[in-house]
Amino acid sequence: MTLTSVLKFGRNIVVILAILAVAGWLAFVPSAVEPPYMFVAAWGEKGSAPGQFNDPTGIAVAGDEVFVSDSRNGRIQVFDRDGRFKRQFGTPGRGLGQLGRPMNLAIRAGELYVAEYFNDRIQVFGLDGRARRVFGKSGSGRGEFNAPGGVAVAPDGDLLVADFYNQRIQQLGSDGRFVRQWGTTGKIGIRAGEFNYPTDVAVGAEGSLYVADGYNDRIQEFGADGAFLRKWGGPFAMNLFGPFNGWFATVTGIATDSAGNVFAADFYNNRVQKYSASGKFLVGFGARGSGPGQFDHAIAVAVSGDGTVFAADFGNNRIEKWRPAER
Amino acid sequence: MKFKTFLQRTAIAFSLMLAASGVLAAPLSYQLRVDGLACPFCAYGIEKKLNAIEGVERVETNIKDGAVIVIMQDGFTLDEATARKAVKEAGFSLRKLEPAQSVPNAGPR
Repeated sequence: MTLTSVLKFGRNIVVILAILAVAGWLAFVPSAVEPPYMFVAAWGEKGSAPGQFNDPTGIAVAGDEVFVSDSRNGRIQVFDRDGRFKRQFGTPGRGLGQLGRPMNLAIRAGELYVAEYFNDRIQVFGLDGRARRVFGKSGSGRGEFNAPGGVAVAPDGDLLVADFYNQRIQQLGSDGRFVRQWGTTGKIGIRAGEFNYPTDVAVGAEGSLYVADGYNDRIQEFGADGAFLRKWGGPFAMNLFGPFNGWFATVTGIATDSAGNVFAADFYNNRVQKYSASGKFLVGFGARGSGPGQFDHAIAVAVSGDGTVFAADFGNNRIEKWRPAER
Repeated sequence: MKFKTFLQRTAIAFSLMLAASGVLAAPLSYQLRVDGLACPFCAYGIEKKLNAIEGVERVETNIKDGAVIVIMQDGFTLDEATARKAVKEAGFSLRKLEPAQSVPNAGPR
């Protein structure tokens, strides 16, 4: 083989690799189809006084109030939409009204649902902070939890719970009876309908169930009948993580808006990603840091009726407010 | 020497003896090194498992440097096998367990 032949062979290899890289990029890195969101404000710092946080891990919005899981402080803090402190409730502990590492939140019909990681239960409060009832206990049986990370409430009042260490999603009736589950208890999996430490759940406008399949770096969607519909996040949604559009690096929170769009807290990528109800990438926003519009790990997200996005900025111990760009 | 003074001096001497023998020493604490400890779901999981071990007073995690400190109640120790099992149940591998410097009691968290 002559030197010329070797050079030609090398050139062909480089060209083929370049073509594959471009094809891979086009196939697996979608472009944003919406303008980026605009950062509005942030509030909070580390501490235990009102308005301060020690690990904000969950967020929900109802009307003009923003509810935040202030996890290590064992409480829920309530703010107006501009970050002004309004009230707080809960203390660390296991009793009714107490909280053991509250995580992702849900609000429905004037009630706040709190996933308690340490207490292995879902506790329900009135929006005024009065504890009303509790679902679940420690274990791996039906209706039992091992570190629930998030909760959602279906239109009929059923609870959907991300049962983190049990590697499953449980559905309970509004009376607490077990209805069904997705995933095999205690078994990590990568195939459709299997989970790798699910962190949160959300319900879509059509009754779909969206699961933040945390350490599989993907989202899975199930129909109202429970059937698997689709999954997305990186190539083939097979636990390939990365910083590109449409990829994740651990999904820790998920929410839907009134139009059915899906918002995901992309923890290690320090951003929030927005998708259509069917999983099409729309836009992402946020970057690593502690300045305006930056995150030190985005852990949870909520969307208000007017489309304003509130996100928990875990490492910076603050809440960020974003709004859609003017069209 | 008055009787009251004698009692006071005796009490002080007894306390010093106990301290020297370790009875009044600070509670034992350990530092665990755990790979991949970077999010609260992980950190809380490890805290939860370690807190369930008999004799554990409290657990402190530092997510940023992957360190876990376990402070024991008086009279209790933590062996590596027990720590390893708890960390494994939380989904991680224990890289190292070593005695840590005594940590002042900060109360429940």
